[in-house]
This record gives sequence, C-alpha cells and structure tokens, in this order.
Amino acid sequence: MKKTLGRYVPVFLYLSMILIPLLFALERLMFVTGMNPFQAIFHLDEHPLGTDAIVFTFVQAILSAILTLCIGLPIAWWLGRFKWKRIGMIRAALTLPFVTPTVVAAMGFLALIKEGGLLDSIGIDLRNETGFIGEFSSMIGIEHSGHIIALLLAHAWFNLALVIRFVEPKISTLPPRYEDAFRMLPAGHNRFNRIVSFWWPMLKTSILSAFVFTFIFSFTSFALVRWLAPNMWTLEALMAVEGGAAGIPGYRVDVSRLVLGGATLQGIVLLSALGLAGRWQQKQSNEIELVAEGYSRNYVGKPGTGARIGIVAATVFALTPLVLMVLSSIRLRDRTSDSYRWSFEAWDLAFKGDLTYASVPEALTNSLVYAIGCLILSCLLGFFVAQRIHSLEQQNRPKMAQFIDVLSMLPLALSGVMVGLGVLLGILKIWPVMFSWYALPILPHAMLTTPFVVRILLPAMREIDSDYDDTGKILGYTSIQRFTRIKLPLLKPQLVVAAALSMAFSLGEFGASWILLRSGAWDTLPVLVDQLMSRPKYFEMVEPIAMATATVLMCMTFLLFVIAERFRSHQGGGF
Amino acid sequence: MTLTIKELSVSFDENHIIQDLNLELASKEIVVILGPSGCGKTTLLRSISGLQEHGSGSITLNNKRIESLPSEHRSIGMLFQRPVLFPFKDVLGNILFAYKNKKHSDMDAVHSIMSEMGLIGKEQQRIETLSGGEAQRVVLARALLTNPELLLLDEPLSALDVELRRKIALEIRTILKSRSIPAIHVTHDPTEAEIIGDRIIRWNELQHGGDDEE
Repeated sequence: MKKTLGRYVPVFLYLSMILIPLLFALERLMFVTGMNPFQAIFHLDEHPLGTDAIVFTFVQAILSAILTLCIGLPIAWWLGRFKWKRIGMIRAALTLPFVTPTVVAAMGFLALIKEGGLLDSIGIDLRNETGFIGEFSSMIGIEHSGHIIALLLAHAWFNLALVIRFVEPKISTLPPRYEDAFRMLPAGHNRFNRIVSFWWPMLKTSILSAFVFTFIFSFTSFALVRWLAPNMWTLEALMAVEGGAAGIPGYRVDVSRLVLGGATLQGIVLLSALGLAGRWQQKQSNEIELVAEGYSRNYVGKPGTGARIGIVAATVFALTPLVLMVLSSIRLRDRTSDSYRWSFEAWDLAFKGDLTYASVPEALTNSLVYAIGCLILSCLLGFFVAQRIHSLEQQNRPKMAQFIDVLSMLPLALSGVMVGLGVLLGILKIWPVMFSWYALPILPHAMLTTPFVVRILLPAMREIDSDYDDTGKILGYTSIQRFTRIKLPLLKPQLVVAAALSMAFSLGEFGASWILLRSGAWDTLPVLVDQLMSRPKYFEMVEPIAMATATVLMCMTFLLFVIAERFRSHQGGGF
Repeated sequence: MTLTIKELSVSFDENHIIQDLNLELASKEIVVILGPSGCGKTTLLRSISGLQEHGSGSITLNNKRIESLPSEHRSIGMLFQRPVLFPFKDVLGNILFAYKNKKHSDMDAVHSIMSEMGLIGKEQQRIETLSGGEAQRVVLARALLTNPELLLLDEPLSALDVELRRKIALEIRTILKSRSIPAIHVTHDPTEAEIIGDRIIRWNELQHGGDDEE
C-alpha cells in the first residue's frame, strides 16, 4: 500500500504545483470581485479596453492561422514531396522561427520593419504607416493596419514551423502507390480532383491540427503584440499589463474582473482548441501505413523550378528577421546625421549593463540558473508522471491513466501570462516573502514545460518493448538496476530532447517572467530586452544594445535546438 | 530432480491457458516441448521464469520452492523468440550485461565464451549489424555467463532459416551439455526438437497429466 502510494508522489507533487497557485489565485479573485469565473466573462466589457481586446484577440488569431496556412502549406508540400539536397539543413532553417524566443522574434521583426529597415527602404512602411501602407489604411478604414499586418506576418513567421512539422511528414511518408492508385480512377485524372478527393482527406487532420495550434499560439501571443502592435490589445497583453493591480480588495476591481474573466475565457478557448486538436490527432494515428520518407521522395524525384524558388524564398523569409536583428546590433545610427556605421560598441555596452539593472552576463546567468532549475524540476516530474501513466496503462487501468494524462496537460491550456498571474496572485499574496525568493520563476517555467516533457517521454515509454525489462529480470537485475541500466539508456534520446526543449523554453519564456521579474533584480535575458526597448530611444545605442542582448538569447536557444534536433525523430508529425 | 512442476495452472481473465500441468526435469537434462503456435508453451516458460504470474501449483528448482520468488531471484536464464539486445551497447557491452556490477566481470570467462560462440573480433560491433544467428549467439553467451541453474529457450531459433536453425540447435546442445546446464526448449519444429533434446514431450500430452516420453 505504502509502495503504491509512493508511486503517486510525483503525480501529487506535479498536480499540486499546477493547481495550488491557480486555486489560490482563483479564490482571491472571486473574493475581490464577488463573482464566479463564468460570471466574470460577462463583465469583461466593463473594462474600457475589454471588448476591443476580446474582438482583436479572436480576429488576429484567426487571421494569423489562415495566413500561416497560406504560406506554410505550399512549403510543406514542396518540402515533403520532392527529393532535396541537404533536407536536414533546409528543415532546420524553416523550423528555426518556432524555437526562437518571442522577444527575439519581436526584435527580428522590429529590425525588419523599423524606420530605415529593409521593408521601409523598399517603400513598405509598416511602422509609421506612410506611403502606400498609409493609403491602404485609409482605404480600408482600419487604424494601425500597418501594425496589424506586421503582427500577422510575425505570427505566420513564428508558426510556419508548426505547419511544416504537422504536414510535411504526412506527405513524405505516404506510400506513393496510394496516389498512383487514385490517379488510375476517373476522379483522379485532374489535379483539382486529386487535391479535393485524395490529398485533402489524407492531410486534413494534420492541416486542421496545425491551424488549431497556430490559433492557440497567436491567441496567447504577448511579446509580439507588445512590440509590433503597441496600440492594439489582446486579452493576454491586457491581462499582463493590468494584472499587477489585480487581487487587491477594494482597489481597481475592474482589473480583477478582467483577469478573472479574461483568464477563464482564454482557458475555455484553449481547452476547446486543444481538445479538438487532440481528437483529430487521435483519429490520425494508425489511420494509414507509412513508408520511409526517403522512399517516397525518391519516387517523386527532384523539385521543379517553382518549388526551388518557393523553398529559397521561404528560407530567406525564415532567416531574414534574425539576420537583420544581428546586423542591427552592429549597425549604429550616427547621432548627428542620418548615416550609419558598423561597430561592436552596443555589444560592449550590453555586456557592461550601464543602461539596465543587469548586464548581459548577469541576465544570462539568471536565465541559465532558471533554465537548469526548470530542466531538473520539469524533467524529474515529467518523467515520473509519464512513468505512472504508462504503468497504469500496462496494469490495464486506462481510465485512471487517462485521468492523470488529461490533468497533466492542464498547463497547455494556460498561457505564460496566466501562469505568471496565477503564481503572483496565488502564492505571493499568501506568502509574500516568496516574492524575494530568487528561484521563484523556476516554478512557472516548470509548470509550462512539464506537459511537453510528458508528451515527449510517454510515447517513447509506450514504444519500449517489454522484452527489455523481462531480460533485465532474467539477468537478475533489481527494479532500480533495470531502471538505471536499461530504461534510462533506452530513453536517453527523448530525455535529451525533453531537457533541451525545457531549457530552451525557459530561456525564452517571457510572459510569466515579465509578470514576476519586471521590477526585480534578477532579470532574465528576455526581460532585459523588454526593459531596454521600453527606454526612451533618444540615446541611439538603446536599440542596438537590445538587439545585441536578443542575439545572445537567440544563440543560446539555437544551441539547445541543435542538440534537440540531433536526437529528434522526424517521423509522424507533431512536436 | 532439477525441476519439478506440480499442478501448475495459469489463466488470463476467464481463459485457462495451462491447467494442472506436471513436469519433471532431471539434472543436466534437455527437455523439448513440442507444440503448435499459441498453445501456451511461452506462457509455461514465463511462469517458470517468474515473468508471468501463475494461478496455482508449485515449482521447485534444485529442492527450492521458487514460485513466489521474483524473476531476478530464481537463477533461471531465458532466451526469447526475438534476440533481446540493448541498442545502446555494442556486442561486448551486451555480453557484459550478465554482470550486475561491472567491477565483478570475469573477463577470462567472457573471452572463453565469446571464443566458443565464434564472437571473437566482434566485440565492438554494433548490434544492428549482427545477423539473426549472431544475435542469438550473443544472447546465449550473456545468459550462460550468469551461470543459470536452468535455461529456458522460447523458440529462439524460429526466425532463422532452416539450415542455420539446425546448425545453431546443435551448437546450443553441445554447449549446454559441456556445461551441464539443464534446459527446457520449446519449439514447433520436430527436427529441431530431435537435434537439441534428450527428451521430447508433446504439448497435448503435457496438458493432460501426461509428461510421457515420446
């Protein structure tokens, strides 16, 4: 009995880590507002920006998801269909935006659209909305349409990898004889019919899943909205900015109502979207047989000119903002004239930290400490939660396994800001002393990353043949020896991927860190970038310093991405 | 007797896979159980090894009741249908898995058994490059290094072609006899059974209180 209970300890710990702060926060907000979460949704319009934020959140998320599919589907098709030289490198370049921290993505796009930037220099002024962008704005009658276009483009850029990850493997691993057989039928004679009656049924679950995940990420986008569309409000951005005043009895009750109602609405939308995507993905698994991607590619052959141009353009699109960001850190505007010069002065200042609370090395140290803490906590908890779910499945207790599985996914329905506010309102209002605890950001980071660890490890555990464990038993190994000498080495690739992704996510995490650290002395790299960009720009070095800081963050994240990519399987589609 | 099984029964849900099975194995004896696929041969071996919970009955190995012991304490070796080799280790690494503590590895014994199995020169070879026959030799070498009191062979040669199967069957018999290790081998191939076994028992005889020698 004691042993059985002991096996549930990591599950209890993990669920406590998620639920306790959120329940405390909920209780406090309900006490301050005097209403339940569902009632609060109907009072969101009482906040001056509430209605606009709801409308803009939905509209931009839907438009972003549509634009991402429009750009991503042809790329996924070309990439999956043809035989490419250096496919690994192309795929890595196109996937890069998704692992880019949102703050870095924001800086990259700012470098692209800023006054004197690449787009401005060819007459597309999305920042100040002059020229034909201004005329376009007046014509459609939507204010700040330049900012909105920049935001939609940035979301499409950021989520492009999702479409590729979901759709491309389905195309590249589909047995070519399926299509050949369909071509022989009268309905398969023309291309349109093949798309509608063959490819769409084959790919629809992947395409719809990509749509839903793009919608989710755009719905909860914060850093990109904050820096690319500063005059527009999404629920996430509004809750982040206003949330500091929430949970105080008798003070700005409208803000408490906004956070309570906004978080509930977001939670409902995200849960529904995740539930939908989950159902589609479940339907998708085992639907059709797969072949090795090389076989399918070789069958179709080399790409034509159109596909080559498309993939080159997509790669340029994926890399340009990042390259421009790096260049913006060394291309400095002269104070007295409009000319530019090349210098590492901004890097020097970034490393000295004269303009901020922390220098780059200090912020990097903080970021790394939080990332390592997050890695340890999320990998340990994630491993044991996945292990428990897997054991229950093996013991033929599917309902209990499913229950823990669903609960473990709960943080996926929470955004960074929601988790940050949950920790702030939940734990800090009860134990304020924790506000001065250096390691506090590890908690929200681990809350957000642990579900990904579970999602990476659980399928791998299911795939391990039970003969390995049986062999260990026969060879006389105890359960601990079998765990350390057989199970852990077998799971090593997935553990490395989970660890690298946890660290990368923690390094780039902005929403929760911004809520908890914006006034603290332990700034992380993303918070430092935000702090720099919030400063008045009369000192011409401010922006290049921010770009240099963002470049350091980008390099750290990409290093982890390369490690994860070396161990990741490309079959199947998904994360 | 090395092994005595009395009235062993195993059920899955409502299905009785093994009912009141009796079997005796003399010391150094190699018994072959011959039966069609799916009749319960594997379940019997898994019950003897402790990998499968048995319903009722007793199992005695060298005068010691073992039916309630966990697998790791039964001193029984087992070869599965598919050779189970750890992909993160090379050939030598897989053979050294026989030792729970690497410091206690008897490298002379390892070298001797590798030589006997024709595995010298393949120490650093990756396991996915081994042929089916080589892989089973590695598994057998690993099992023998644990000095088992009984070896269970669950159709380990079924994936090999006929010629190789018979060649390795003979090798296995020679090695087991040279080391005086008693074994139970299950198969559906009568020729393989004749090559390897001292005694052959048909599954249906065993299931009906038989244990009659063929």
